[in-house]
Amino acid sequence: MEPNVSGKGLVNWVLLLVLTVAAGALARYAQSATGLAATGFIGMGFLVALVAYVQMRLVERERLERLEFDELRKSGTSASLFTTPDAEQFPARRAREQFEKYFVPAFALLLLVGQGLGAYFLWRHLGTDRPSTVEQATVAMTLYGMLALVYFQVGKYSAVLARLQQQPFLRPQAAYLLLGSLLCVVTAGVEAAGWAGYPQVDVIVARVLVILLALVALENLITLVLEIYRPRVREQVVHPLYESRLIGVLSQPGGLIATAAQALDYQFGFKVSQTWFYRFLERAFVWLMLGQLAILLLSTCLVFVEPGEQALLLRWGRPVAGREVLDPGPHLKWPWPVDRVQRYPTERVQHFTVGIVEGDEFAAQRVLLWTKPHAKEEFNLIVASKEDRGANTNAVEGEQAVPVNLLTVNMPVQYQIADLRAYVYGHADAGQLLQFLAQREVTRYLVNVDFDEIMGRGRRAASEELRQRLQAQADAHRLGVRILFVGLHGIHPPVKVAADFERVLGALQEKEATNHLARAYAAERVPLAQAEAVRKVNEAEAYRARLTSLAAGTAARFTNQVLAYQASPEVYRLRTYLDTVSRAIAPARKYVVVPSNTHEVVTLNLEDRLRRDLLDVTLPSAAPPANR
Amino acid sequence: MKQNPVTLATGALVVLIFAALLFAFQVRQTEVVIVTTLGRYARSLEAPGLYFRWPWPIQNVHRFDNRIRNLEKKYEQTTTADGRIIVIDVFLGWRVKEPRKFLELFGDNLAAAERNLEIQLRTAKNNTVGSHPLADFISVDPQSLRFDQIEAEMLREIRTATTNFGVEIVLLGIKQIGLPESITTKVFDRMKAERERLVKQFQGEGERESIRIRSEADLQRERILAEAEGQARQILGEAEARAAAELKTFEQNPELAVFLLKLDALEQSLKERATLVLDPRTPPFDLLQNAVTAPGRSN
Repeated sequence: MEPNVSGKGLVNWVLLLVLTVAAGALARYAQSATGLAATGFIGMGFLVALVAYVQMRLVERERLERLEFDELRKSGTSASLFTTPDAEQFPARRAREQFEKYFVPAFALLLLVGQGLGAYFLWRHLGTDRPSTVEQATVAMTLYGMLALVYFQVGKYSAVLARLQQQPFLRPQAAYLLLGSLLCVVTAGVEAAGWAGYPQVDVIVARVLVILLALVALENLITLVLEIYRPRVREQVVHPLYESRLIGVLSQPGGLIATAAQALDYQFGFKVSQTWFYRFLERAFVWLMLGQLAILLLSTCLVFVEPGEQALLLRWGRPVAGREVLDPGPHLKWPWPVDRVQRYPTERVQHFTVGIVEGDEFAAQRVLLWTKPHAKEEFNLIVASKEDRGANTNAVEGEQAVPVNLLTVNMPVQYQIADLRAYVYGHADAGQLLQFLAQREVTRYLVNVDFDEIMGRGRRAASEELRQRLQAQADAHRLGVRILFVGLHGIHPPVKVAADFERVLGALQEKEATNHLARAYAAERVPLAQAEAVRKVNEAEAYRARLTSLAAGTAARFTNQVLAYQASPEVYRLRTYLDTVSRAIAPARKYVVVPSNTHEVVTLNLEDRLRRDLLDVTLPSAAPPANR
Repeated sequence: MKQNPVTLATGALVVLIFAALLFAFQVRQTEVVIVTTLGRYARSLEAPGLYFRWPWPIQNVHRFDNRIRNLEKKYEQTTTADGRIIVIDVFLGWRVKEPRKFLELFGDNLAAAERNLEIQLRTAKNNTVGSHPLADFISVDPQSLRFDQIEAEMLREIRTATTNFGVEIVLLGIKQIGLPESITTKVFDRMKAERERLVKQFQGEGERESIRIRSEADLQRERILAEAEGQARQILGEAEARAAAELKTFEQNPELAVFLLKLDALEQSLKERATLVLDPRTPPFDLLQNAVTAPGRSN
């Protein structure tokens, strides 16, 4: 080993230390998650560089020891020198061997644990909310860029030196220096993205870096396991256990390209890398990349605003006079970052809901009933009531009588952006403020309206009034929106009391049913009475007619009878008597009792007979006793 | 050593970009900016555009959004002047009015500013709510409702409290008024009782209506029948009177008339089932007696 190599190793170690501190400070300053993850990588590089430097020093000491030993052997000073054990003859070699045998594996193991824990804690840290800031982005970008330039030069120098001088311990240091440079470029890019309005890139890239860290840990684990089974060959150049091939590839992608070219050559059977096209690509690669960047930059000069959209044009952050709002169609502008365009869907009908929002799990419900929940959480608003409050003021101790009702509200609101400048320049979040105002208006309306009115006919009027009120509020606060629709169709009693409201409706129906039954009774009763009355009168009329006629007839007949009577009173009386009696007693059962002996008791059974017809047979006329 | 012109151009471009990033910055339409030199206030920039500065750490740029920001934190339980408990949520809109003062008080930390505003908001809210009875918040009578007035009082109080914050409180609104869980349960009970009252009321009204309709129908029936009965009796009376007029005819021979009436009565009474036990002396059965006795005598 060249004498100055360990000096290079020391410089690299110090540089990595400085880079770790600087990257950490910058990450903290810019509150960059990517910078934090990069610091983790660079910090590991600092530890690796330290161990590599120590190993470098041990190897150098061993080399000096061997030189001294060779000098002594050439001078032949003492034969006993060759009889002592190796450990005593070569303490530096012994130290190096002990170091490689015990310390390096232990360090590799610790490094593995550190990488694993680092990946775990960084991942968890990325899950927490962090304030996104772009105030320090430009400074951070600049400093990261400068660090990247410096460390790229140093790393490249060390990599070339390691390759030329076959320095295995300088190689991992160079790899980490180049990786540090690459990570600085990546972090600067992430800061630029945040500055350009894409702060979410930070967390995404940070997560990618954490995954890479975990992969490096996995590679170290595999290397450690394979090391156990690796055959030890004397004089073989030992690959440092702590050196990551993955980091080597990442830090020197050129090596990867070379490897890929070799693979292509092998696959196709001829030297692809020797073709004119490959050589052209290799030669013009940088120009091509610059050309692409130029095209990318020029493409930002043309803007297509989609139908239904409007865009705000800003030049150096200031609205461009006369072209503040761009309508749908193609537009020319200065390239980024001179001119910037912010698009907004001004024609699209946007909506939000005040109150309960039906969750996905309830979306499949085809029937929405008051008595069944259709949202995760109840959202009840207070509604005033006309009922007498005095009745509820006698609050029991520990309770509170509340002269109010509660209503579950689901009120969709639809709106459009009417004035884009007011919408964007006036409010940090105009949509959210509109939601706040909408909820305020609903609350304001319900505390001043009667419960029964809002649940009845007043609902349609309430929707329109709420829309007008919300529009007035939006105009008063210059939100730049047009309220299209406010719906109160989803307003109903809370689920817990909904069944009682339904019972009231049931009672109303019951009342109607009772009324109908009563009306049916009345409808039947009165006509029947009228019929009965007519019958009675008619019967009386009939009686009168009969009685009158009978009296007249009887009188007329009597006049004639008197004449007959006067002619022969006795005979007339008898004839009339016998006619009447014979006619009258014809249907009657007759017993003629002839008392022959005054002491006889005659017993007659006058009970009704069951079968009169059987007993009423006509008997042959009885012969007079004289005929017997 | 021969330098590659591409490398030089790329390097120059990168240096230019870095220089631009270090020495220039934009102030957007929605921002106000404070520039500090070595930590001391240098200037405020409220007009949007491109500006230059000395690079960090000599000069530092602090940006603040000059738009109205919304603040809404706690849905908080409090008491009214008449001791009623309500839960109330208030939101406000604020913006940075004096960026220099704001920077001195809160730095670049908007969250710190919002924490302080929240404290003032809660104080103003609780003070104002505590000075009004519940009826001022909830009433069907627009004249007695003090909703807007309460908001104005809160806004006035928080504006006074944040005078030195370097911010402007632009608007304030009561977003929601609710009740604690225990009271909500009581309200539900009361609502149920009220519904039960309505159920009973409707049932009673239904029964009342039914009875009224039925009784009216019965009354009408009785009236109709009574009227008919009266009319019938009147007719019967007329019939009796007309029949009585014929009685004079019987005065020609009252004895005969009585005899004939008896005969009629006899005939009428024997129309239905009757059993007669007759004495053989009863005419015309007296003939039978003669028939029985005649053979005996012949014997």
